[in-house]
Amino acid sequence: MQHKATRYAGSAFTHVILAGYSILALFPIVLIAINAFKDRASIFDSPLSLPNSESWSLIGFEKAMKNAHFFSFFGNSMIVTVTSLFFILLFGAMAAWALSEYKFRGSRWLLAFFAFGIMVPIRLGTVSILQIMVSLNLVNTLTALVLVYIAQGLPLAIMILSEFMQQLPKELKEAARCDGVGEFKIFFQVILPLIRPAVATVAVFTMVPIWNDLWFPLILAPGEETQTITLGVQQFIGQYATDWNAVLASLSLAVLPVLVLYMFFSRQLIRGITAGAVK
Amino acid sequence: MSHVSLKNLKKSYDGKTDVLAGINLEIEDGEFVVLVGPSGCGKSTLLRMLSGLEAISGGDLEIDHARVNDLPPAQRGIAMVFQSYALYPHMNVYKNMAFGLKIHGASKDEIDRRIKHAASILKIDHLLTRLPRELSGGQRQRVAIGRAIVREPKLFLFDEPLSNLDAALRVQTRLEIAKLHRDLNATIVYVTHDQVEAMTLGDKIVVMHDGHIQQAGTPLELYQRPANLFVATFIGSPKMNLLEGVVAEASATELSVTLAGGQLLKAEVDASRATVGDRVTVGIRAEHLWENNEGSERFTGTVNLVEHLGEANYLYVTLSTGQDIVVRGNGEREVELGQTLNMSAPAASFHVFDRDGQAFHRLKPGNLRSSKG
Amino acid sequence: MKKPLPWHIVVFLAPALLIYAVFSAWPLIDTLRLGFYTTSETGSQHFAWLANYQMLLFDSDWSESFWNAMGNNVRFFLVHMLIQNPLGLLLAALLSMRGVRGAKVYQTVLFLPTLLSVVIIGFIWQLILSPLWGVSETILTAIGLADWFQPWLGQEETALYTLSMMSVWQFVGIPMMLIYAALIAIPDEIIEAAVVEGASAWRIFWTIRVPLILPTLGLVTILTFVGNFNAFDLIYSVKGAMAGPSYSTDILGTYFYRAFFGYQSQLGSATLGAAVATLMFLVILAGVGVYFFFVQRKLQRFSF
Repeated sequence: MQHKATRYAGSAFTHVILAGYSILALFPIVLIAINAFKDRASIFDSPLSLPNSESWSLIGFEKAMKNAHFFSFFGNSMIVTVTSLFFILLFGAMAAWALSEYKFRGSRWLLAFFAFGIMVPIRLGTVSILQIMVSLNLVNTLTALVLVYIAQGLPLAIMILSEFMQQLPKELKEAARCDGVGEFKIFFQVILPLIRPAVATVAVFTMVPIWNDLWFPLILAPGEETQTITLGVQQFIGQYATDWNAVLASLSLAVLPVLVLYMFFSRQLIRGITAGAVK
Repeated sequence: MSHVSLKNLKKSYDGKTDVLAGINLEIEDGEFVVLVGPSGCGKSTLLRMLSGLEAISGGDLEIDHARVNDLPPAQRGIAMVFQSYALYPHMNVYKNMAFGLKIHGASKDEIDRRIKHAASILKIDHLLTRLPRELSGGQRQRVAIGRAIVREPKLFLFDEPLSNLDAALRVQTRLEIAKLHRDLNATIVYVTHDQVEAMTLGDKIVVMHDGHIQQAGTPLELYQRPANLFVATFIGSPKMNLLEGVVAEASATELSVTLAGGQLLKAEVDASRATVGDRVTVGIRAEHLWENNEGSERFTGTVNLVEHLGEANYLYVTLSTGQDIVVRGNGEREVELGQTLNMSAPAASFHVFDRDGQAFHRLKPGNLRSSKG
Repeated sequence: MKKPLPWHIVVFLAPALLIYAVFSAWPLIDTLRLGFYTTSETGSQHFAWLANYQMLLFDSDWSESFWNAMGNNVRFFLVHMLIQNPLGLLLAALLSMRGVRGAKVYQTVLFLPTLLSVVIIGFIWQLILSPLWGVSETILTAIGLADWFQPWLGQEETALYTLSMMSVWQFVGIPMMLIYAALIAIPDEIIEAAVVEGASAWRIFWTIRVPLILPTLGLVTILTFVGNFNAFDLIYSVKGAMAGPSYSTDILGTYFYRAFFGYQSQLGSATLGAAVATLMFLVILAGVGVYFFFVQRKLQRFSF
């Protein structure tokens, strides 16, 4: 029976640690969210209690919504992330296909060239990137961000996708070639539909850093019109440093979209990460 | 000495439906027991319960008359060979075999002695410093067996150990396992879904289906006197031919059945519990049908497919009643498609099963060769 | 025999190659080049050999703060190595145990902070730790540790470690998921074989599981290294470009930003920024080099 007792003790230990850390992971977010719905006095008097009929107040949200360009920030982030992702996937898949399917002189060098970009952060080239954007007249445009993010996301996308493509059964494309299908048709009509599982992984690994990036929006597109939500929140909260209602409300608003998306996609997301991590 | 006894052993995952419903089985010292059945029949679960990897929901498991239900695997005195071999990929062959011994605090000399001994039995002496990935499938298999041998267990458990090998290697390894069993005088429980493996290896075969033991017995018992329709069709290749019929006359020495086409057939079984008018199923193995009229029970049909095996061929025949059956014929005799074939069999060679699929006891099984072969 | 390059390969490769080369590879090379130039007061650039590096590494006006940032960055990295990655390993090990109820829920929750923007995380923790609000003080009082409370983010000795812990809190999900994925890729039968041989859970973890995931632990280390020596967002959003109090939280990323864009009376300089970026590049390259030539060569991936 000792066997069983240790097993229960082990399982209790597991849950204590996991649940304890889960509370630690959620606590800050929950704390901000509950206080966003309180009036100023209650925020300070009883920060840990839930809002009740007395302390309930939406004043923070009113201020935040009135003053901020939340929706335009959010829209900018969406445009930048989705556009970048689309081109990363398309161009990445094309290049991955060329590098994994056709053996030509220098293909290994090209692969190494792309692999270099996984390890060396694109930020280190910021000085020159800014100069290029200035000369192309792209400063303060979303295009500048999209271009940089495509360049940033391509190396990892190419690695993951070419690894995946090598596992596709040869017979598929050989059958197509025997039927006299052209190389472009093979790629777009046979291969692209087949790489869907890997696309999820690539999307996870490229999307999150783009959405949350502060550096490039700060340097390449700091203008009010082109601010992403990450930069917008950073600047906006700075203005309200002492208006706790507004700060808490705007933080809650900023967390909300990610939270909602995560609730819907967490399963696919986590599966994508675990699939991509085991190579 | 090791004796394993399973008393009303049960497994249930949700507390309601039983995956294994009351398994009773005695395993004698030195016996080679094969658990066989289609996938999902519970054979692997049963093996894992013996090993301690799967909890026992009810009943008693005794090894050497001591109840081991709640003992962890390591204290049961068992060793297991896994389907995928489960060799530790980062340890060389020597370390793989030493791992378990080290845990049990065996001395260095003792570990070395046992590994050298097992390696020489299995002829893997020259592989001891290799990593698993540097070995072929057959070699990995030997190392996995070696890892079990060094522990000198009371009971060996094999979980489909040949299913990852190619056909030729499978036959060779099968022979080696049989030889190993004889040389070590080991008690073995072996799980497989392959009835040929079961028949060739087992002293005792336990046929399982739907979480129940259908029949346990020697290979010959299972072949000659299958207890029910499931065992009858599971053991033997090609599958036993089955014909539907109704009891016309029944006694303790003979059963007469009216077959679907109206033909009257006699079978030498103990039918004292049968009543006239009961639905029954008559079974006859392909190798017991003769291509002549020597047997007392006769059939006529048309050959529509021939499979040549060399020494024999399988003739797929449609009887005049429209029923399809298989006949094992002389392989060196020419048979033409569409040809009419007269077949016969002695009354002793038939199996008969009642409505619930339970067999009537056959009175004179065995030695049914026709004089003309 | 020389075949002409088939044009469909060119078409497949061209867009990715073009964008990657123009906006990633070329700027990096150009940055390395710019590091050798200086900018005059009129804004014109001219070649100056190692002048920038001499200034950054040896001129006390700049070198002190450079080495300060470098030292802080090393500490920042060490906190991640000593706390984030072991914690990630522990959580992953617990999650990957068989029959842990709610493992999916735990995973979802534990990974959540990683998805949030560093900016948001920075502000949230800033509020929680703020003596003005007093939430952390209240909590510490509740568990009897009222004396422990300090304005951690405001003190020179504690600010960097506090920020490091905030970063650990946010990013522990990444090592956790990578290690978790590696752990669940180990076939059950290998673990069961060890169980049957009598190995305890503790022993299985250290003698079977950890050796089998060493390549992943190596990968986690290098990712942490690159991520930390390239960090900027958290420090900037909590402490601004000045990385206060009195540069005690300055790391290479913020130092780079100041050199590039200037601060207070000091004018920014693209060429000086490029020189800082080059130094960061060398640090990262050294780390990656060590990883590839020493670590990854020794650690073989096991296919199961």
